[in-house]
Amino acid sequence: MEEAQALRGLSGQIAQLDRLDETLIERMRHEALTAPAPWKAEYGEFQSGGWWTTSLMNASGEAGDVLIADGSARSTPLLKHMPTTAGLLADLGLSYMWVRLARLEANAFLWEHRDYNELDQVERHRLHIPLHTNSSAFLVTGGTKVHMAGGRIWRLTPTYAHGVCNLLGPGRIHLIADVYADDAYDRLARRTQLHPSVAEPLPQASEAVLAERFAAARRLAGLGYIDAAEQLLLRLFYSFALPEGTVYDLIADLHTVLGDSEANQRWTTAKAKLLALAS
Amino acid sequence: MPTLSLAPAELRLAELTEANQPSQLPLLTRIAGLLSASAAVTHLLVRGSLASGTADRLSDVDFIVGVHDRDLPAFTLALNDLMTVAGGALLPGWRDTIVADLGGIGFVFLVQHEGKLQQVDLYLAPASQIATVRRKVAGKVLLDRPPAEVAPEQTERATAYVSELLKRPKSCAELLIEHLVLAVLLHKRIRRGQRFIAYAEWHLLHCATKDLVKAALAPASRFWGWYQLREEIALTPIGRACLADLDAAITSPAVPDATDVEAALDRVLALTERACPDALDGLSDAITAYRTYLELA
Repeated sequence: MEEAQALRGLSGQIAQLDRLDETLIERMRHEALTAPAPWKAEYGEFQSGGWWTTSLMNASGEAGDVLIADGSARSTPLLKHMPTTAGLLADLGLSYMWVRLARLEANAFLWEHRDYNELDQVERHRLHIPLHTNSSAFLVTGGTKVHMAGGRIWRLTPTYAHGVCNLLGPGRIHLIADVYADDAYDRLARRTQLHPSVAEPLPQASEAVLAERFAAARRLAGLGYIDAAEQLLLRLFYSFALPEGTVYDLIADLHTVLGDSEANQRWTTAKAKLLALAS
Repeated sequence: MPTLSLAPAELRLAELTEANQPSQLPLLTRIAGLLSASAAVTHLLVRGSLASGTADRLSDVDFIVGVHDRDLPAFTLALNDLMTVAGGALLPGWRDTIVADLGGIGFVFLVQHEGKLQQVDLYLAPASQIATVRRKVAGKVLLDRPPAEVAPEQTERATAYVSELLKRPKSCAELLIEHLVLAVLLHKRIRRGQRFIAYAEWHLLHCATKDLVKAALAPASRFWGWYQLREEIALTPIGRACLADLDAAITSPAVPDATDVEAALDRVLALTERACPDALDGLSDAITAYRTYLELA
């Protein structure tokens, strides 16, 4: 009963929409892997490094323009190299704000964050079409791990705190479409589900485990590996169900212990920005 | 027609040189940069084919890492976290039992780098031993910043720590990782046609399987090596199934091919699932990724 309720709650954050034809996905994957894409690394503060995007549709029509914003999207030259993908986007008939390919390399992370905070307050949705993935690439939202398997369209509500990782690789490529709500979207979203098998609740972290991981981070920092110490704590978000922002608090605490008040302040500010917390 | 004699500097060789660099060089650079960021690291030596200029695309990246004696225990404890978080290691490091004893501890990591699985060997040696190590090992020095002082008690503690660690029996998870590392080494030997080394490493793989069976089913065994296996292990259906696996291993060809290595891996994973499933905890994604990289190799 509780489980079903939790799953219903989670389906507001992440849901499975329509299935897509396997051969269509295969052709889209081939296009994504072979098209001459100008991959860009933006949103540096949100990621570990290894998150690359390139635009298929946006307001400027430039593939290298990847900082998303409101507007009516048109095709970039890159999409002309991807006729199958262009065909699917046209068939869906959605009101596109931005369509991107996103590549997440092995051992790369998008840290716990919220999206859309900087955009207009209108109804919009984020759709994911996994093109190339592996079992160690997953999303965490609401303390639950979801591997977005290939073969269908997924809907993510990125205004909930979430994070994405590709722990071990190989690289993951998703098509991500931000779309405005309209009749076409409503038709697509009529049949949403979240099958229990795709949602794996993460374990709670005991005090002892958190203390041990904090000690491991201190050990790394003590040896001079500050970045690695911070990343070790950031990665806890992908292993345990933690209250929102815990990993940022732990890093701030680490710097307090290390006597670095400037770094403590920097991470406190980063937490507010990444989680779109009111100041 | 006059003869034009070009000085080497006039030839545009830079691009050609760049294109012919070993593919492991970016990984070597990245790991060297990572390790040397700690003041605890006093020396970095590269050894093996990358140091001698005989590397091929299968060559491993092999470092001797001098660590201040004072910091050796903490550095060793932190190494798995460091290599996982910042080095891209798929699995915890395997405590290398093949490497020659130079007064330190060797670890082998399997690291994903640019879509490929690479082997990174790190031999941690106390800084106080580095002069001796350099006399014994040919290598190229990347970093040389000897500590101002190493107190005798720090050396004593480092030596005791190394000795304790080397004596500690391996867990089932460590023995499983040993199989995964040895399988990578074997694939390399097979591709290079190094039959004698393949034979030796294949034998090590069988020994690791025997050790895994014993660690799982007879952890308190008083018998050495291969002795009394039947008496201690074949007492239950699980034990008999594991010994059947071991029998299949030792009756396989003396020099394996790639199919034999894959079959051995399948056997060991099934054996682990049967005899010590806890050893697989947290490793299933890593093993999936490992096999994907092996297929892509």
